[in-house]
Amino acid sequence: MIWIGDVLLSQGEGGVYNERMLGGARVWDPHRSKMSALYHVGTGVELKTGMRVLYLGAANGTTVSHVADYVDVVYAVEFAPRPMQDLLEVSRRRRNVIPIMADAARPEQYASMVEAVDLLYQDVAQPEQASIALRNCSFLKTGGFLILMLKTRSVDVRKEPAEVFQDTLDVLLSAGLIVQECVWLAPFHHDHAAIVCMKPDE
Amino acid sequence: MQSYWFGDVDDGRCTLFIGDSNAIIDRIRSISVSMDSFIPLEWDQAVLCGACSDRIDYLARLQAVCIADAERSIREQYARKDAELLQMVRTLDEIDTVINLLSERAAEWYLVRHPSFSRKYRRTPAHILVKTMREKSKGALGRVAVEIEQLSETRTFLAKEVSARANSVMPNTSALIGGLVAARLLSHAGGLLLLSRLPSSAIQVLGARTALFSHLKTRSPCPKHGIIFQHRRVHNAPRNIRGKVARVLAGKIAIAARLDYFRGVTATDFLEAAQERIDAVGKRNEP
Repeated sequence: MIWIGDVLLSQGEGGVYNERMLGGARVWDPHRSKMSALYHVGTGVELKTGMRVLYLGAANGTTVSHVADYVDVVYAVEFAPRPMQDLLEVSRRRRNVIPIMADAARPEQYASMVEAVDLLYQDVAQPEQASIALRNCSFLKTGGFLILMLKTRSVDVRKEPAEVFQDTLDVLLSAGLIVQECVWLAPFHHDHAAIVCMKPDE
Repeated sequence: MQSYWFGDVDDGRCTLFIGDSNAIIDRIRSISVSMDSFIPLEWDQAVLCGACSDRIDYLARLQAVCIADAERSIREQYARKDAELLQMVRTLDEIDTVINLLSERAAEWYLVRHPSFSRKYRRTPAHILVKTMREKSKGALGRVAVEIEQLSETRTFLAKEVSARANSVMPNTSALIGGLVAARLLSHAGGLLLLSRLPSSAIQVLGARTALFSHLKTRSPCPKHGIIFQHRRVHNAPRNIRGKVARVLAGKIAIAARLDYFRGVTATDFLEAAQERIDAVGKRNEP
């Protein structure tokens, strides 16, 4: 991935959300994107040219556009019509973004359009984040990675973030995933954790 | 057999689906995959099928279908009658906030210009004060007063529209608690479908989020009512039974919202019975 000093960049057409440009590349701001924050505070998963990515909770396509700069194709799933309008605009200008308007909790609705992917990235504001990730693991190749951005406040505001984090981790581990990395995204995002897992061979 | 967007694949043999973009959208909406026996699609099957020539072509075709599908979904969602009402009522509430902020600021400004003026012991309604400021102030302050008055007119106009729209979108809920309050409930729930899915206990405290979460997190008392406090039966009720009235009213609103979503027409029998039940709460507790 492209770094200049401690600035993360991606190579692509700029002006998606008035992002800063540096040496002809787009600056990927860790304060705006949790995925960028993960690369700043932890290791994450190296994005490579041939990768296929399933992105759940694509929202306005800000992070999607950066991922699309690196990989072969991004299947971007988003449920709400308002952010979808923005995501469509991003898709029209990028050949490798496939926008899918569907509920990430119901993969059977978009299964007929998605290939097997190398990376499953999830950033949804739902209480059942772990189970949504597991349901979508059918799309993940063996040896592929899951990056789960855990919004602890969406799961349960009454519980301590650390407690929610532990519960989610238990669910993922009991499903047989191998957890590779767990980091909190502070100081960029509060009460958000990133969990990186690998899908092992059967 | 596995069904994909471009066709059906069975034992390595592929049947191409033939149809225009609308037909493909209908197809992908009707395909229901069982995730247990699901095999992810391989794009080269689409080439074998004759759906596309290479990977770039495959992605371009899939993207075109997906964009058309999403555009149709967005159009369908926005065409629902509650989508615009949602924006109308939110605009109304925001205009209220703006009018209040501006009037307060203008009054402070006016006080500086008229050192002997004070609002103490006067029951001057805000709009009369704004009128005075407009008449007695020169320059920008006078203009601000004019703006406030015009904004108030827009507000009244919009409020009528919201009320009328609410009566047609949610006839039962509006009949029960009035169009404006019904529309506010709708705005907080996020739509008629979402409102009709809420349990009555949630409807009861809709709009009292801060109090509710402080109750859930600490031991502060739970809120008795949110937006439905604006209904006269609730705010006119004696303090000790206000929670009870709110609970009964919320129960009836929950039913009314479901009638509105699934039937969409006035249910006279229900409304009469509901009104009777709500009116009865106060009486039963009187000595």
